[in-house]
Amino acid sequence: MTQQDDLGSAKVLAELVAPERRALRRAAVLSGLAALIWPLQAALVAGALAELLTDAAPLWSHVAGFALLGVLRAVLNHWAEGIAFTAGLRVTSQCRAAIVVHEATRSNGPAAGPIAALAAEKLDALMPYVSRYAPAKARVMVVPALILALAFWHSWAVGVIFLMTGPLIPVFMALIGWAAQAASQRQMAEIASLNDLLVERLQALLDIRLLGAGAAVVNSFAEAADRLRAQTMAVLRVAFLSSAVLELFAAIGVAMVAVYVGFSLLGLLGFGSYATPLTPAAGIFLLLLAPEFYQPLRDLSAAWHDRAAALAVAVEWDEWHLRGDTPLLGQGAVAARLAGPADIVATGLKVRLGPHLLTLPDFSLAAGETLALLGPSGAGKTTLLRLLAGMLHPETGQIRVAGQPLNGQTADGWRARLGWMPQQPHFLNASLRHNLGFGRSGDLAAVLGAVSMQEVVAGLPQGLHTRLGEGGGGLSGGEARRLTLARALHARPDVLLADEPTADLDALTAEAITEGLLALAATGCSLIIATHDEALAARMHRVIRLEALV
Amino acid sequence: MSALWQVFQLIWRDQRTPLLRGAVLGVVVLLAGVALLGLSGWFITAAAAAGMAGVGVSFDVFRPSASVRFLALGRTVARYGERVLTHDATLRAFAALRVRLLQSCTRAPYDRLSRLRGPQMLNRLIADIDALDGLPLRLVLPLIAGITTHLLTFAVLWALAGLTIAATLALGFVGGGAVVLISAGRVGFAPSRRAELAAQAFRSRFIDLVQARGDLAVYGQLAVQKSAVLAADSRRQSARLAQDRVERRAGLALSCLGTGLATVALALGMALAQRGQLSPALAAMGFFAALALLETVSPLRRAVAELGRMTLAARRVVQGLSAPALQSGRSHAATALRFDAVSHRRPGAARPSLHPLSFTLHPGETLALAGPSGAGKSTALLLAAGLLHPSSGTIWLGDHPLPDWSEVALRAQLTLIPQRAALMAGSIRQALTLAAPEADDASLWAVLQAVALDQVIRTKGGLDAQLGPRGAGLSGGEARRLSIARALLRAPAILLLDEPTEGLDTAIARDVLHGIRRYLPQAAILTASHRPVELDWADIVRMIP
Repeated sequence: MTQQDDLGSAKVLAELVAPERRALRRAAVLSGLAALIWPLQAALVAGALAELLTDAAPLWSHVAGFALLGVLRAVLNHWAEGIAFTAGLRVTSQCRAAIVVHEATRSNGPAAGPIAALAAEKLDALMPYVSRYAPAKARVMVVPALILALAFWHSWAVGVIFLMTGPLIPVFMALIGWAAQAASQRQMAEIASLNDLLVERLQALLDIRLLGAGAAVVNSFAEAADRLRAQTMAVLRVAFLSSAVLELFAAIGVAMVAVYVGFSLLGLLGFGSYATPLTPAAGIFLLLLAPEFYQPLRDLSAAWHDRAAALAVAVEWDEWHLRGDTPLLGQGAVAARLAGPADIVATGLKVRLGPHLLTLPDFSLAAGETLALLGPSGAGKTTLLRLLAGMLHPETGQIRVAGQPLNGQTADGWRARLGWMPQQPHFLNASLRHNLGFGRSGDLAAVLGAVSMQEVVAGLPQGLHTRLGEGGGGLSGGEARRLTLARALHARPDVLLADEPTADLDALTAEAITEGLLALAATGCSLIIATHDEALAARMHRVIRLEALV
Repeated sequence: MSALWQVFQLIWRDQRTPLLRGAVLGVVVLLAGVALLGLSGWFITAAAAAGMAGVGVSFDVFRPSASVRFLALGRTVARYGERVLTHDATLRAFAALRVRLLQSCTRAPYDRLSRLRGPQMLNRLIADIDALDGLPLRLVLPLIAGITTHLLTFAVLWALAGLTIAATLALGFVGGGAVVLISAGRVGFAPSRRAELAAQAFRSRFIDLVQARGDLAVYGQLAVQKSAVLAADSRRQSARLAQDRVERRAGLALSCLGTGLATVALALGMALAQRGQLSPALAAMGFFAALALLETVSPLRRAVAELGRMTLAARRVVQGLSAPALQSGRSHAATALRFDAVSHRRPGAARPSLHPLSFTLHPGETLALAGPSGAGKSTALLLAAGLLHPSSGTIWLGDHPLPDWSEVALRAQLTLIPQRAALMAGSIRQALTLAAPEADDASLWAVLQAVALDQVIRTKGGLDAQLGPRGAGLSGGEARRLSIARALLRAPAILLLDEPTEGLDTAIARDVLHGIRRYLPQAAILTASHRPVELDWADIVRMIP
């Protein structure tokens, strides 16, 4: 990652966190206050222990003060952590909601895997950064400076020890941070490739078993899993090493303070403190402060690791965010059927397909007519169907449906009159009943009978309650296709849009589907069918031939 | 809970030595921390006392100060070693666990395998196992290290600072810690479980939304699905908030416990010192040790707050590992395939998926099962391949019933090409050698020729031509032929074909069918067919009603 990109992703990250700036400031103030309590507690304990060395009465008030301040510190921390956590949760949830809302209104999108991984898992990497970085930064601003001042007040030697060892921590933190970022990027890439490998293998498990290749596939997965372990360990080792180095500096600093204080108290060292020799109370006080001088620096460097992970996510979020795309018309919500006869008139349609501007022929279709769209792959058959369903904006031109222009206001009402058969059936992770009827009233048995699927569905393990695989696993290709027709019939459409309804089917099954379509047309439903199948096209009232893209 | 224990046993069995070493180092870290603070407190206070008494010169400064340095360095090194050892061991155990889960997946019953949904399965292999890393790292090992540290600290403090302080600290931390952690575990169980369930619902619903966007839009369900996805996330959010509240309250309680016990140690020490029963330096040591002992309980709060999520994941992992073992048995000569009044009905199904069927198929013969959709043609093939088990009747392969065959021997003798064969990303060569790792190029070309695909592959760039995910780059018919070629490479004695030429035009279909027979002249071939071209090609056609 270059310096430039790094600045860019840091800016993206700052923008994501910006709405929570006020909450995080409150968390930072509370967390800073909590950290400032420790010097007070330390002073009380140091006083109490020093008094023990004299014959004076024990300072019970100090003990009580120590306990009360301890509880106060815990409460402030509890409060600060709560605010910071809520802020982190809001940042991730807002990103997640933005992705969901956007993906639910765009016309067409990329593969589901990467975007789902970003929304479902990777965004969680923002949480530790958002909730820990700002409070840690606040503590670094106030605590070491205060302790340094207190140290110099009592003993310049202790102050010098802090001054010499403290700044080494951020230096090492920065050095190790670079290594950490590179290692986490390699790890993210390895996670992505393992996921890709797995998804395919999982979808082909049956074939793999039938080909006796189970052992080989499991072995190659074992290798990939082991590579991921090695990459993860590389990331962790850097993180552990960096925290060990920081702990080492802190430990050396604390040990030096302890030894110096011990020797001065024994009267073996004549330098380091001012006119008077170091008092026992001051010595114990300084020893209690020493670890707390380093702790904020160590917390910040831990948060620095969180930041590396958050930056990687910010880069991905930005890539997703910047991708230009067109929204679909309307909301895709349930709406009252658009009134009027289901006529369609398309004029002057041009649509952008990647670098090309595709020109589609003008046509009109009266309610009840049937139309075949023929043409080679890439000629725009599917695109035209998607335009007619309001899933795509034309670059120029207009589609009028039921006498009204097809636009954001009319799209949902128009779609309420449509039936749709996609080329690749997809079944939701729900019962077959829900996949066919979406919870709407209607006679499922009748539509299953109309596509001759009653017997097949009855033979499924749980009948209509069966959950099918995503692509209709558990059924043949023709059976899955017929279920999409049954779903379309159940919606009682006035216009059916079908994309290659007979592709990859044998003649008998294709004939069964064709009969089903024609039976639907006989009830007065218009059909628009994109197909390569000349026999099917010949049975439509009209045929439009689309030219291949030049 | 028993599932958690089972998973921990699996991890332990796999990585016993490094985990043991890690646990020992974990104890060293905690003890060194306690010793470091206790010794420093004692050292400073004792030094101050000696200085005030004017005997500073005779005070042994070197041993304590060397010990302080040694403990500080030793703790750092031990912590690094402990983290690397335990994390590496856990990751190794998890990699092994994932492999076992995948293995177990391949053995799953056919009905589960065929309806397997990618995202759910991926959840199981990735997210469920990731959810369990807290089990060894944040729960069991810290618990062992914490308890051991308290035992040893108790003994040392008893000897140095007396029973009162030692017992107060040990009982206070162990008892108080147990109360806080157990109640946090109880209260946090439900929200942490809810958060995980909501996260998985979010993922599965969101993937549905993206993959079926068009269908959902046309049927007016896109807005419904969007709200369902967002509802899952807001459920997750509120559960996460509840879980965090539990965790922070536990943290607050433990901080207060630590402060309270440090205060008590200080007060006890002061009282004893005032009565002259304890030196001020040892009183200071008790207080400092109490400060350090908080480290034995506070890291556990996160683990107990995620017990619900871990239990859920562990239960699914254990369940996933419990697929039946592959058929074990022996290898025999597969001479003929015989169905003896074989029928099949799925549990819960309204009607049988295959009515009683009998036939005998000899080597070199081709038998086509014909009949309407839903008559059970595919079911018969799945039964013959041992993927489903007959509800009644027996299938004989050679002289032995099917259950007597081992899975490996069965797959070596018999190959089924299902209706929807899956191809994966990679080269044509990789696609083919999946079935026969040792096959050379000449035999690969020969089998491609048998299914009339050699010309197509040549124009695409030969055996090294790359296919996209799910075999993208081939038409439906080409993919079908490649999957047939792949199966032929195994040269099975029994070949089962489910509508082998679906999606092929008649002329190519005829070429492919005759190519199959030429390639495997001795094989007994059983097909499920309804195309005339397949029925013409078969020696025997058997109608099933």
